[in-house]
Amino acid sequence: MINPMELTGKQILVAGATSETGLTIVNQLGNLGAKVVMLDIIEKKLPEIEDITARDNVVLYTFNIYENAEIEAGFNQIVKECGVFNGFVYCGGIGGVRPLSLMKYDFIKNMMNANLFSFVEMVRCITKKNRFANRGSIVAISSVSSIKGLKSKTAYSASKAALDASVRCLAAELSEKKIRVNSILKGWVETDMKAAFIKSNMELNENDDLKKQLLGIIDPIEIANTVAFLLSDATKTITGISLLLDGGYVL
Amino acid sequence: MKLLDLTGKKILITGAAVGIGKETAILVNKLGAEVILIDIDENGLKEVIASLEGNGNQFYSYDLNDLDGIESEIDKILFGFGPLDGFVHCVGIRSRRPLSMMSPKLLSEIMCLNFGSFVELVRCVTKKNNFNKGLSIVGISSVSSLRGSAGVTAYASSKAAMDCAVRCLAKELASKKIRLNTVVPAQVNTPAYKDLIKLKGDAKDDILFRQYLGLGEPADVANIIAFLLCKGSGLITGSAIPADGGFLST
Repeated sequence: MINPMELTGKQILVAGATSETGLTIVNQLGNLGAKVVMLDIIEKKLPEIEDITARDNVVLYTFNIYENAEIEAGFNQIVKECGVFNGFVYCGGIGGVRPLSLMKYDFIKNMMNANLFSFVEMVRCITKKNRFANRGSIVAISSVSSIKGLKSKTAYSASKAALDASVRCLAAELSEKKIRVNSILKGWVETDMKAAFIKSNMELNENDDLKKQLLGIIDPIEIANTVAFLLSDATKTITGISLLLDGGYVL
Repeated sequence: MKLLDLTGKKILITGAAVGIGKETAILVNKLGAEVILIDIDENGLKEVIASLEGNGNQFYSYDLNDLDGIESEIDKILFGFGPLDGFVHCVGIRSRRPLSMMSPKLLSEIMCLNFGSFVELVRCVTKKNNFNKGLSIVGISSVSSLRGSAGVTAYASSKAAMDCAVRCLAKELASKKIRLNTVVPAQVNTPAYKDLIKLKGDAKDDILFRQYLGLGEPADVANIIAFLLCKGSGLITGSAIPADGGFLST
């Protein structure tokens, strides 16, 4: 039997790896044979994290991934210790809801920093000479908010739209090095439902925004599988896309 | 009734000293509107103002990088001028930088001016008493918001952010009878384009490769902006309207 999503022999860096979705991604990439380097802002002492880092093909690095000045030095260390990468997954970032009347640029900038600036800086640092393998693949987790307007989600949505636009530009630019760059537009995921801001968002956006997601809520494992798909050689010529993983939300 | 009619309307235009902003100021003024022009280039503004009809037009030299000063500036301007019927945001800088020379600082600067100033201005002009029912807001985006090309990551992401914000804000501000759209030009014959041509030298033919109707003129884009400001476009909101000579269709 063959497995087109096989990742054996590949080393993948996952930033924002200790969120619930991040952990699911790390776990599944490990299951598919990859060596996974996890990266996140703090080492939370959750048992789930301990379980995953106990695997012999997973290591964890911690520094403030939203502090731009720390990224370059952090990546220098990671690459020095771990060698060449075949894939990079960005599932860091933050959410938030705020109506226009209360939205000053500080709020937007904070969102842009976590959802765009850190990503672009990490891509710059990981694609330096001799750090990223030929035919390597980069995947960013974006959101359907990038293409669908919602009240009071201007800052979050705009940061995801900016992320997707950066993905297209970086895909064009890095095609010279045969590096692929794509994003995943996720709809409502099971883990989202635990976040405090979701409830207020639901109230702001009439009815139940979830109902638009015709196939129901997304299990994080599906995001992990889609990440693996885009990292794998099954998608050797897919680049610059924002793949919808939304249960029919945008229909 | 004329389709394009802005008689008695009051319209704020940023980036009005050159290019698309300048042509928009001239056109909406011809269509009957009074304008407030904002740009960092005071001499350029004076020239544009001198070419306009009527005595009610005003100009302000202001650096929109200073986001914190926008609110008091707008409140002050509109206190004398009266509530707005239209706002057109043409300010924006192009940036070309390969990834290897990119920095979060550069990304942040481009985002602040191209996107941050837009949202802050929208916030300020949509405050109570600053606008009339039917206010139409138009942002100038770019095809790079929708199509990737090498070296323009910062610029493209700032324009994509603007297009996306317009979708969200159109929904949010609909209850106040405010519409928001963007116009999405490809290459337009502006000073920024002339700089690009100089930079590209022999490769300049590639620039218009996908734009099969050829180079746009600022006045072509101004026509579309004027339409979006007029009542006739009352059903259009939250959209990104191409002004691209066919670019996005190829």
